[in-house]
Amino acid sequence: MTSILLVALWAQGLFAQDTEWLDYGGGPHARRFSELSEINASNVARLAPKWIYQTGVGGKFETVPLITRGRMFLTGPANHAWALDLLTGRPLWHINPGMPDGINACCGPMNRGFAISGERLFKVTFEGDLIAYDLSTGKPIWKKTLADFKKGYSATGAPLVVKNLVLTGIAGAEFGTRGFVDAYDVATGERKWRFWTVPTYDEPGGKTWPKDFHERGGGSTWVTGTYDPELNLVYWGTGNPGPDMDGDVRPGDNLYTCSVVALDADTGKLKWHFQFTPHDVHDWDAVGDPTLADIVVKGAPVKALLFPNRNGFYYTLDRTNGKLIAAKPFTKVSWATEIKADGKPALVAGQDPSDDGVKSCPGLGGGHNWWATSYSPQSKLHYFGSIDGCQIYFKTEQPFVEGAWYQASTTAAIPAEPSTASLVAVDPVTAETKWRVELAKAPSGGVLSTAGGLVFYGDQDGWLAAYDAKSGKVLWRFQTGGQIAAPPVSYRFRGKQYLALVAGGAVIAFGLP
Amino acid sequence: MLAMLVLLAQSSPADIEAGKATFRIYCSPCHGRNAEGGPRGPDLTLRGERDPAQVIADGVPGSEMRAYRSTFSTDNVERLVAYIRSRERAPEAVAGNAAAGERIFWGKGGCGACHLVGERGKHFGPDLTRIGRARGLANLRESTVNPDADLVGGYRGVSVTTRDGKTIRGRELGYDAFSVRLADSNGAYHSFLRDEVASVAIEKRSLMPAFRGSPSELNDLLAYLSSLKGDSR
Repeated sequence: MTSILLVALWAQGLFAQDTEWLDYGGGPHARRFSELSEINASNVARLAPKWIYQTGVGGKFETVPLITRGRMFLTGPANHAWALDLLTGRPLWHINPGMPDGINACCGPMNRGFAISGERLFKVTFEGDLIAYDLSTGKPIWKKTLADFKKGYSATGAPLVVKNLVLTGIAGAEFGTRGFVDAYDVATGERKWRFWTVPTYDEPGGKTWPKDFHERGGGSTWVTGTYDPELNLVYWGTGNPGPDMDGDVRPGDNLYTCSVVALDADTGKLKWHFQFTPHDVHDWDAVGDPTLADIVVKGAPVKALLFPNRNGFYYTLDRTNGKLIAAKPFTKVSWATEIKADGKPALVAGQDPSDDGVKSCPGLGGGHNWWATSYSPQSKLHYFGSIDGCQIYFKTEQPFVEGAWYQASTTAAIPAEPSTASLVAVDPVTAETKWRVELAKAPSGGVLSTAGGLVFYGDQDGWLAAYDAKSGKVLWRFQTGGQIAAPPVSYRFRGKQYLALVAGGAVIAFGLP
Repeated sequence: MLAMLVLLAQSSPADIEAGKATFRIYCSPCHGRNAEGGPRGPDLTLRGERDPAQVIADGVPGSEMRAYRSTFSTDNVERLVAYIRSRERAPEAVAGNAAAGERIFWGKGGCGACHLVGERGKHFGPDLTRIGRARGLANLRESTVNPDADLVGGYRGVSVTTRDGKTIRGRELGYDAFSVRLADSNGAYHSFLRDEVASVAIEKRSLMPAFRGSPSELNDLLAYLSSLKGDSR
């Protein structure tokens, strides 16, 4: 009976139906795992570009293109965005509203992509607006200002659609701002809730700060969160406390910075939190989108949340309650000897920045930074990029000036000990590293894994490569000619599997001959 | 000059401290932590002819010093200048004889085999035409006797061993996950795919040998290097 049904489905072409890529994380679990296997280890060596669209726009493209209804929707730096035809890559519409002058931001006018709901697209502007667009025309429908860019706020992350809400975070923790996650009604743009990542003194968690510090406590939310429909929880990573390097002015754990927070999707109320780096003084944002995996630990199924951290440890948490399941370093770590069973780090003395400088590992960028990760339920491994090394951390007393850089010093490289980098595969059950491939330079892109047993990763030199998911062996590579600063996506279009990404300012779709 | 006096009169210890914080973040990667010169930027503790506020705002065309007009408010520039002024010191006395140092440079020191001064020499190591402006004496001394201490970006050594056992060593022109490009000391260009050679190694040490002359020869050489200000000779 089953086989008859299968044959019937096959005859109707249902197995070859087009597939979509509808959000930043590649599905509600943010695994960036494609179920497609037409491109696999046996034929990936023949993968080649099918079309290229030159945007003509410079800067760094951190966008994850969305694929639906025969079209591709992508954003670019400096508030650009496009809709392209999926068959040819030819443009359908282009948004270029410009940017106001005087935006203070740490790292350039990046944007990581659209979110989609029905006939609407949503994206943030660098100056901190959330805008809903008509998918067909690119015309704006509503616009909400998240925060005042003159105070140091900016926005770069892809929004996240959760039922009838569109959620977004904010950037700016290097400017004495206060982080939040916002939820807006998809239809009207009305704000339904806001979760502040830094509580006021009298709220729960508030006593982990000095009095009246919350307005400049940091804890930005610049990378997209993840939604678990079954638990109705939204998980969001939070950034560093401010000022970054001078912790003396903010004694305490500084909740909920450098944490992952689990929020009720309907109300934004905090369900639980897990702080990776209490009282951070190394700018180790807990960025990255939390990846959700269903794993088996000691024979029991666990709804897990996976989080390779900027602080050098890999964490597996129980996503129903935030309890630690496993944590191990995936790179050189000097600030803590281990993560204890209660989730707290066993600290090493003398690792805080000082006026003369203190060597600490990892360096300021991590560890694992925001670069998108991928979990393959097929190989049961979690793939991500890592910087491996140490830096000298300095501390300087810095007066707070609204809207001004508020880092209280910086770091320096150690000339005799240059950092290296790697692509890492970790088993989330034990948090142990299963394989590691050395990279030439710090990661800039992200990872996609597929049911074809492949892991795709692009680097800052423009190489896009396919690795064997089990061993890390390189199976294919292509020089795209521009920096790759986002993960590829994969989809089936008119019966064939494709891979797409932006390299430099060029959108490229790859397929088999 | 009047503007300068006004600025000096206005800068308080708090301004200097704030300027220092900004300096550490934006300027120290090139100019060193204490403004005494660094990997790419000149020593700012020796007063130059140009107004630092103008240099910060407009940058230096043709150099790596970009314009920071849109980055800093006028107040912040003033605080930066206040800090830089607070670090000023008298130039270090150069003990050696520049003319004798010039002979060492082009003669037994062998420096000209890899370095350019104006039109003369070779561009394998860094161009030293303006090195007396770019570096203080302490940095020059360190780089001469211990070249590994402060490696200048873009001059990293790399060696490639081919599958037939040949080793090619030179200055790295490009290095990534799958390829490497280099110039050997004769200026010849080489390019390899990494999976087509036996090994590729980035050298952690400088390609430059340490200077092995006597202390007085070293002083002479440093006197010559300090005299290189990019003036036509």
